[in-house]
Amino acid sequence: MARITLENIKKTFGKVTALDGVSLDIKDKEFFVLFGPAGAGKTTILNNIAGIQVPDEGFVKFDGEIVNLVDAAHRDTAMVFENYALYPQMTVYDNMASPMRSKLYHKDEDYIKTRVHEIAAMMGMEHLLERLPSQLSNGQKQRVAMGRALVRMPKVYLMDEPLAHLDAKLRNAMRTELKSIQANFGTTSIYVTHDFMEAMSLADRIAVINEGKVVQIGTGDAIYDLPCNEFVATLMGDPEINLIPGKLAKSADGYTFTMQEGGMTYTLPADKAPFAKLDEHGKSEYDLALRPQHLSYSFEPKEGYLKCTVYSYESIGNKSVIIAEAGGQQLRMLAPNGLRVQIDQDVYVDLDLTHALFFDAETKDFVARYNEEAIRAIAEPEEGSDA
Amino acid sequence: MSGLKIEHVYKRYDNEGKGKKKKVNDYAVKDLNLETNEGEFVALLGPSGCGKTTTLRMTAGLEDITEGNIYINDVRVNDLHPKDRHIGLAFEDYAMYPPLTVYENIAFNLRAKGVPNDEIDRRVREIAPLMQCDDLLDMMPVKLSGGQKQRVNIARAIVRRPELLLMDEPLSHLDGKARQAMRTEIKRLINEIKCTTVYVTHDQLEAMSLADRIAIINFGVLQQYGTPAEVYDDPVNEFVASFIGEPPMNILVTTIIKDAGHFFFTFEGSDLRIQVPERYYGVVSDGFRCKVGVRPMDVLIGGPDSKGTPEKVATFENLGDERRIGIRVGEILLMLITEDDTRYKAGDIIRLEVRAEKTHLFDIETGDRIREA
Amino acid sequence: MKKTETSTGMKVLLNVLLIIYAVFALFPLVWMVLLSFKSDAQMYNTMFVFSPTLDNYRQVLFKTDYPRYMRDSLIVSGLAVVVSVVVGVPAAYALARYNFKKKEDIAFQILSFKFAPEILVVLPLFIIFQKLHLYDTYLGLIWVYQLISMPLLIWVVRGYFEDISVEIEHAAQVDGYSWWQIFFKNLVPLIRPGLVSAALLAFIFAWNEFTFPLLLAGSKVQPITVAITKFLGTDTAHYGQLAVAAVISALPAIIFALVIQKHLVRGLSFGAVKG
Repeated sequence: MARITLENIKKTFGKVTALDGVSLDIKDKEFFVLFGPAGAGKTTILNNIAGIQVPDEGFVKFDGEIVNLVDAAHRDTAMVFENYALYPQMTVYDNMASPMRSKLYHKDEDYIKTRVHEIAAMMGMEHLLERLPSQLSNGQKQRVAMGRALVRMPKVYLMDEPLAHLDAKLRNAMRTELKSIQANFGTTSIYVTHDFMEAMSLADRIAVINEGKVVQIGTGDAIYDLPCNEFVATLMGDPEINLIPGKLAKSADGYTFTMQEGGMTYTLPADKAPFAKLDEHGKSEYDLALRPQHLSYSFEPKEGYLKCTVYSYESIGNKSVIIAEAGGQQLRMLAPNGLRVQIDQDVYVDLDLTHALFFDAETKDFVARYNEEAIRAIAEPEEGSDA
Repeated sequence: MSGLKIEHVYKRYDNEGKGKKKKVNDYAVKDLNLETNEGEFVALLGPSGCGKTTTLRMTAGLEDITEGNIYINDVRVNDLHPKDRHIGLAFEDYAMYPPLTVYENIAFNLRAKGVPNDEIDRRVREIAPLMQCDDLLDMMPVKLSGGQKQRVNIARAIVRRPELLLMDEPLSHLDGKARQAMRTEIKRLINEIKCTTVYVTHDQLEAMSLADRIAIINFGVLQQYGTPAEVYDDPVNEFVASFIGEPPMNILVTTIIKDAGHFFFTFEGSDLRIQVPERYYGVVSDGFRCKVGVRPMDVLIGGPDSKGTPEKVATFENLGDERRIGIRVGEILLMLITEDDTRYKAGDIIRLEVRAEKTHLFDIETGDRIREA
Repeated sequence: MKKTETSTGMKVLLNVLLIIYAVFALFPLVWMVLLSFKSDAQMYNTMFVFSPTLDNYRQVLFKTDYPRYMRDSLIVSGLAVVVSVVVGVPAAYALARYNFKKKEDIAFQILSFKFAPEILVVLPLFIIFQKLHLYDTYLGLIWVYQLISMPLLIWVVRGYFEDISVEIEHAAQVDGYSWWQIFFKNLVPLIRPGLVSAALLAFIFAWNEFTFPLLLAGSKVQPITVAITKFLGTDTAHYGQLAVAAVISALPAIIFALVIQKHLVRGLSFGAVKG
């Protein structure tokens, strides 16, 4: 159990800057997710906390105490590695027992036996204990790696993309399973992933990392509904958020938005709060952003619907995505599986602008959105001032 | 002209190497019958080792046919050399000729056939933009990314205007977004050139997205052959039901009981009770044991006046556009997906209902679908 | 359409060719064993049928210093391998794990010791050894022998270390183990197949070494390979005894080779699995 603080961590490898001033304050018992694209520096942050790497600059603190010079063995952490890093010559049981057999964290064999069986039962892998890692499937290896970390009660659990190498179905199932045992962790956990569903599902708070910097910190809801820029908005969500570049113009009692491509002009639903922010921002070029679930379609022409052609219609599991094209503008929206849709046929699309977000077309930073107050209330429960 | 026709095809491998354990089923492919319409996109879908690649290889002529016949556009091809079958092949690993430019790689087969130079040039330049590799023509294969290589690979397969295009997991080396983008491109390409295509994959999403019809194969035996909607909504057995869809269909062992004139599903280790849809009343009885399957999207949260059993939420996941809720039923986590914006937490009580028309019954032994009488 | 299947005729032909090759390769060995059982009188005929005698063995084992030569060979080759393991394994680890300037150059340098013709270096070594009083000592011979065994060992073991993902070491660190514990508990078991096969192969190479001991050893230390030449006197050649000496001296190499055959192929084909 510990509060982990990173203060302005910098780390370079040769000429490559991996971390460029990362500061994080991870609360005790929090499940904290580091989320970002490949090569963002997430694993380097984890390695710095574990003590596998030492920062060039800045401090790593456990409960306020600087641990930069404490080696990995003495930091009292437990880690799950992306490639599982199981000891190939040991059985599953010995792999899981290993952390409790080192001099530092030594426990007697009776305790080890009870504990290993307890964790194995929790993870449903008691039948695997006598096997060698080479006799396990990927999913089973993943369980063992997780189990090896969970046998101890360290100050912090560090998990580096533990589900990344599983196929989609298994990954989803394991994520849900992880969610169901999460309550038993009882200590601070830091979890690295590039999968937004894992981040959304598991995190108390998420830090979005890109190019060695922290881009945004907040709850899953905050990151999803109030992304601080287009990068975060695009990264969170599959299918991706729709970004529609266009011009904003003042009209009699509000605003109109004219799409750059597709040629439609919309009257924005009247709402004081976003209008005030747009007024304040003062620019005219914006990217209007809308999540795919807020678009609807019709195969018959309808009043106020934008005429598009179907670019693609593809299943994403329990539902499908239609990508429609109007000029150079692609629009993604959700649809049920098994529709009879022909490529390049006409489709009419309606935007539910009461869910729209506005980003500055130049800086790509967040400016305003509808329902901001209500969303903030859900997304930022206590302090309300994290990001 | 009818595309591909596979007729009672068997494939058996001689058991080489005596040390190898005798396999339970000796046949890699067993009595396979499959017919495509002209211009149709058919996916062969199944877990690894199910015989789908063997089928493709037999069609391509890379593997002998133990028994049965294969016809391409009504010509029996069993004894034809691969080069005489008028097929285009795109494989999982993009085997390109490293010393040749992309242009020459695409042109290679045409040159081998002795097509005149200006005809080759015309065809290569016609195909390249379709696969968005017109900018790559002068590059060497080593300089290409995985996605680009796969584009060239597919361009090379279609440049000879095959009567049948065969693809074996062409996307499996690509990841994430590149894979999705490429999938869309393949779909659009086939739509454009209207070539009969057989596409092997183990990824149900690919099959669901690309194919006009899907042939689901397991242990060398064809399970079901139908449109994506048919295999999704009307699976013939438990295997198909669980293989198609993500998250997979909830499939639970159930004992049916009769109470006050109605039948109910009950589950071991759980107090969950769900009324059996009335259309099954003719086939079930008190104490009848079977498996019941329902997709997560078809499990619903009942309103305040719902008669569903109250159940505790075990897991709640907010995934942005949808929320997934897990309920413990015995050992199994019953999943439901909702787009409703309510937030739950573990321990909350909800009442479950299911869409009666989307409930499937399966035989506990064979896994076959039990249909209403 | 029949492409890969081999017909029965082909199989017979292949087997005949293999048998011819086996006879060709093994015949000298067989002949040597036969010689060792022949008396001097029968030595020069080419008959396979003769009355075998153990005289030669009695002569060599009990009337000469043969056991001493065996012992010298064992000491020199064995200790050379021990030195190679003790020094070579850490060296291999460093070459596999750490990044430092000229790493690949150093690695290649080590391998290149194997390239130089022995006859080229043996003369300067002879002079140096005399000045340093290493001539005709165990230490001196062990020193040159490890030049033969070390490069092989380093290259094989380095490949093994590179195959072990560095995360396994990290995992053990986080589990609370010190570097030495990790090394012996986790790494050594994983490199064992390579280490054993490389060490045994190095031992065989060292055992068979002839040029170095011929010139750098005198009367006090005499490995078997050099000592065998003693059976070729200036006037008489006891081919029977020579054969015995050769058969016995070849035994360790043959036994080792047979024992480790399986490991050897696996242990040394590390390059193939790394890809």
